[in-house]
This record gives sequence, structure tokens and C-alpha cells, in this order.
Amino acid sequence: MEGCPLEKGNGAELVLSYGARTLAPDQAAAFERHMSSCAACRELAAAQQDVWSALDAWTPEPISPNFDEKLYQRILQEEQSPWWQRLFRANWSLRPAMPVAAACGVLIAAFLLRSPQPIPAPQSFSQPKVGIEQVERALDDIDMLRQIGVESSSQAHSPEKI
Amino acid sequence: MHPESIDSQAAQPSWNGRVKDNRVAHAALERDAELMLRVREGDQASFGLLLELHRVSVIHFIYRMVQNQAVAEELAQEVFLRVYRSRGTYEPTAKFTTWLFRIATHLGLNWIRDGRNEKLQDSLDQETSDGATRQLPDRGRTVEQELVYQAKLREIRQAIESLPSKQRAAVMMHKYEEMEYTQIANVLTCSESAVKSLLFRAYESLRTRLAHMA
Repeated sequence: MEGCPLEKGNGAELVLSYGARTLAPDQAAAFERHMSSCAACRELAAAQQDVWSALDAWTPEPISPNFDEKLYQRILQEEQSPWWQRLFRANWSLRPAMPVAAACGVLIAAFLLRSPQPIPAPQSFSQPKVGIEQVERALDDIDMLRQIGVESSSQAHSPEKI
Repeated sequence: MHPESIDSQAAQPSWNGRVKDNRVAHAALERDAELMLRVREGDQASFGLLLELHRVSVIHFIYRMVQNQAVAEELAQEVFLRVYRSRGTYEPTAKFTTWLFRIATHLGLNWIRDGRNEKLQDSLDQETSDGATRQLPDRGRTVEQELVYQAKLREIRQAIESLPSKQRAAVMMHKYEEMEYTQIANVLTCSESAVKSLLFRAYESLRTRLAHMA
């Protein structure tokens, strides 16, 4: 092994693999040779080995004897449950649905905002107030115009005048 | 073959044993996928075999993550329930154990994230629900040896607990499940270099915290 692996940057990985005994035999032998002359690597490997041994001491608790029974009960309960509950429990990830839901929300909002304004209800047409005098005047004007019209037409059809 | 027997072989310092283990692991990979495909076709017995093969490793992995046996068993049941629910859509595109541990890690990390572990961690002084003091497993030690062991265990558990949850999961997979960096990366859905970084930092913290135990 040329140079200290700690100085080359790959020391941590090497020490980890050495501690986990996953190094290839020739690599392990080379590292052991290097450690005999390198105090830093030797100390690090020893510390890692201590951690490894300490973690080995952590033996887990025994498993409940009815673990399988409980599991099969849960499976049976699920299979007997109504279809909509099973659908709800299905392992569908909601993550892909989030952007779709957000896009739908934006589209709906845009549609609502851009839709034409409702046509306002026609306001009640206010009839102008007409006075009696105005009506009388208008009737007089009509009579006068009618008379003028009659006179002019009689003049137009008279043969003497032609 | 039971996965524990594979693990015990892998823990041997023999290099030749490691090569043999790789062959065994490859056979196990094909076996798990084959069993799961049979479960997909409705073979309940194959599910029982998968449960038999992976029950212990999944429960122990979650136990070391959440540090509570009852919760670990509850979450492990959820893991196998999810596997069973997904049987119809299973495709052997990835290693079965990677998928299994991804579910287990996801549930464990969620449980830790939700802060439900604050008051639930197993304590040696804790009483069981019926009021009786917890029975410690008989490991053939004297009372003094047992007390020393429990004190040591408490420190290890505290050291593990002090790690960020993702580092904790990475260490559990690396140390106890003997997974390779690639598989840990697949379980944690991150890069291999990210896994190495997680492990280096985690072991560095553990070396500091557990240095006096040498």
C-alpha cells in the first residue's frame, strides 16, 4: 500500500470495510501491513473495531410467539372488509396525484375567473312622464299636419291646375 | 435456507465463506422472487414461507430503529401486510429484500419522525401492562454480569438513538443486515456516495460516543 489511505481520502471507507471484514484478502493484508507502521490508521481501525464489537453486543428481544397469528388475523379481516375499504387501504402512492390535483385546481380557478360575467338583469324601463298639455299639443300638431297633407294632395290631383 | 443462517455464515471472518455467501445470496434472491410470484398467483403457503424467511430480520431491524419491541412487531406486521396487499402488482424488477426493507425503513422513519418514540422506548425498569416487572431473557449470566451488560446496552442504544434517523437506518442495514452500499442506497433511494457519507458520519459519532467502552 503506497501512502496513508487517510491522507489520500479513501481511509474512512477502507477502515469501515476492514472492520466489517468485507475487504478482499489481498487488500486486507496490505492494509494490515500499512497499519503496522501507521499509528493513525491503527488507532482508527481499533476504534472502529470497538464500535463493531459494541454493536454486536446488542442482541434483540425475542419475538412474540403469536406474531404470525396476529398477522393472519389482520389479513383475514382485510379480505372480509368491504371493497371500498380495501380500495382505500390499497398501496397507492398519493405523491403522483398531488401535481395532478394541483393542476386541476388551477384549471378550475382559471375557468371560473375567465368565464363571462353574468348578464345583468334588465332594469325596469322607466317611462317618461308625459304631461296632458304635451299630449294635446302633439294631437294638434298631428291634425295640422294632416290638414296640410290633405290640401297638398288635393292640389296635386286637381286637373284645372294642370 | 433461513436468512439467519446466511447472516451467521457471513459474520465469519473466513474470506472463502464470503464467496460462498454470495452464491447463497444469489440463490436466495431467485427464491424470494419465485415465492412472491407464487403468492401473486394465490399460493398462500408461499407467503407463509416468505414470512418465515424474513420475519426475524424485519422485526429486529425495526426494533433497533424504534427501540421498542411491541412497536417493532406492530410495524413489522404492517410491512408484511403491505407485501401481501401488493401481491397482485408484484414484478420481480428489484431484489425482494430491497423492497421489503424499503417498506420497513419507510414505516420506521415515519414512526420516528412523528415523534411517537419519545415515551415509548423500552426501559428495563418498565413494567408490563399487567403490572408485572419485565422478565429479562436468560442469557446464562450472573446478576452482576447482567447489570453490566444492561448498562452497556443502554449506552449503545442511546448512542444509536442520538444518530439522525437516516444514519441510524443506514448503520442498521450495514451492520446487522450486512447489506452492500448499493442495496442500502436502493432502500434509502439515494446515491451510493450518499450512503457512504451517511455511514462515515454515523460511525464517527459512534466511535466518539462508545470509545470508553473498549
